[in-house]
Amino acid sequence: MEITPGSRLGTFEVFLPVRSVEREPQQHRDDGFPGRLFIVEGIDGSGKSTQLSLLHKWLESKGYGVVFSEWNSSPLVKDTTKFGKKKKMLTAATFSLIHATDFADRTEKSILPLLKAGAVVLCDRYIYTAFARDVARGMDREWVRELYGFAVKPTVAFYFRVPLETAIGRLMDGRDELKYYEAGMDLGLSDDPEESFRLFQGLILKEYEKMISEFSLTVIDATLPIEVQQAQVRQIAKTHLEKAVNVRVQR
Amino acid sequence: MRQTYGKLLPGMRISDLTGKLIVIEGTDGVGRSTQINLLKPWLEELGHAVLDTGMARSTLAGEGLKRAKEGNNLGRVTQSLFYATDFIDRLENEIVPALRSGFIVLTDRYIYSLMARAFVRGMDSKWIRSIYSVALKPDATFYLRLSIDQLIPRVVFSRGFDYWESGMDVYPGRDMYDSFCNYQTALMAEFDRLSEEYKFEVIAASADAEQVFEHLKAGIFRALESDSRKEYISARSTKTLSISDLTANEKTASMAQPANAAKFESVLRSIMAHSTDGNGRIAHQQK
Repeated sequence: MEITPGSRLGTFEVFLPVRSVEREPQQHRDDGFPGRLFIVEGIDGSGKSTQLSLLHKWLESKGYGVVFSEWNSSPLVKDTTKFGKKKKMLTAATFSLIHATDFADRTEKSILPLLKAGAVVLCDRYIYTAFARDVARGMDREWVRELYGFAVKPTVAFYFRVPLETAIGRLMDGRDELKYYEAGMDLGLSDDPEESFRLFQGLILKEYEKMISEFSLTVIDATLPIEVQQAQVRQIAKTHLEKAVNVRVQR
Repeated sequence: MRQTYGKLLPGMRISDLTGKLIVIEGTDGVGRSTQINLLKPWLEELGHAVLDTGMARSTLAGEGLKRAKEGNNLGRVTQSLFYATDFIDRLENEIVPALRSGFIVLTDRYIYSLMARAFVRGMDSKWIRSIYSVALKPDATFYLRLSIDQLIPRVVFSRGFDYWESGMDVYPGRDMYDSFCNYQTALMAEFDRLSEEYKFEVIAASADAEQVFEHLKAGIFRALESDSRKEYISARSTKTLSISDLTANEKTASMAQPANAAKFESVLRSIMAHSTDGNGRIAHQQK
């Protein structure tokens, strides 16, 4: 039976046809939104968070409406992730899915609506983090990419490229003990957390390198002085903001 | 040989999954949990080890999903993925190990419910199918089907309108009754489509519980007949009577005389006494 709006089925009003509901998710292009989405990627110790926070300060000082969204921070999902990590019960598949769930909540509740509202959205880690980590954990490359099919395409995806040893050197200085999943202990690469971390980050780095051309990541040489990197980042961000004059807000 | 719907999760061996995966599907309120509560003791009596599992019952995501639904603040994509997380956790940690140990796994809803719910919420079909391409193909899927006018009194008069069962997230701002009818009709249309695609065995759930039970028993017998372990079990059986013989005997008996009525009544009564809400929540608490 064909169900259409306005027709009656028994005693209730039919108001929405089943099949005409807009199909989501489709790969969102940011072009249609007044807002701008800048994201940073890179292995641990690449300095990406430092660079993003400097960009944040600069954008604010210029009067833009800036919103920051961090990987793994959905209030609806993060407790489950924390629980799974604490109990060491996450497999490659559930690790992947729970992070996708977290990202979905942030996309639906903040990233997408904020871009529509004209904000500059800054994300510390984005879908490329999932692609790199999940594939390093053994997930199918295509499956993970399909999983994140609902994500908004960033205006600019900055990739902070750094040699493995430089990043590890930066991290190991006065750092707390590595956590189980952080060190990639679940991969069974090594019983030694530090060695495991090194091998795991190496796998992730390899995945990032492959993604540079696949997703047209904007590469920043993360061995350069912080100020030089930041100048490059601002220069690139600026070109995209010029087009988006309507995002300026009065303070 | 057991198969998935296309992709294999890392580390998952499926060549030695000798158990049977039996799926009970259907919209809310068709009596799935009642039937599972009847089937489990029946199968155990026949000598089969049974694992029953169902939606939103995973150790990893069950609680988190419940909390997320309390706020009525759960988006459509997030919801689809939260359920997928729950499903994969149960697939990897309950279903597959149980099948490897030769259990019969009775599952209250499977990927089809998750697909139907996502489709009704406008999710992309290719996207959902890709996620669930890692699921195992079941040995049998029984679709308990009830028309919308039969569904209303069963659900609404027994436990009232539930926000999610009424699809209030799909049709916000609408009257709960209209929303319920639209949502369940939409779900059913998706189920009917999936039923053809995946060749479900459709069982009219309008019959009384006892009749539905008989249909399910007959269907499960058929699924067990193709049991690849039969020869193995017979060969290893030290007694003259093997499990499969017992199964066959029971089948003859149950076909000849529609069950032991008194016993059935008592089982059914004890189940009803728990007044399940149709979402397996009682079955979960009993664990």
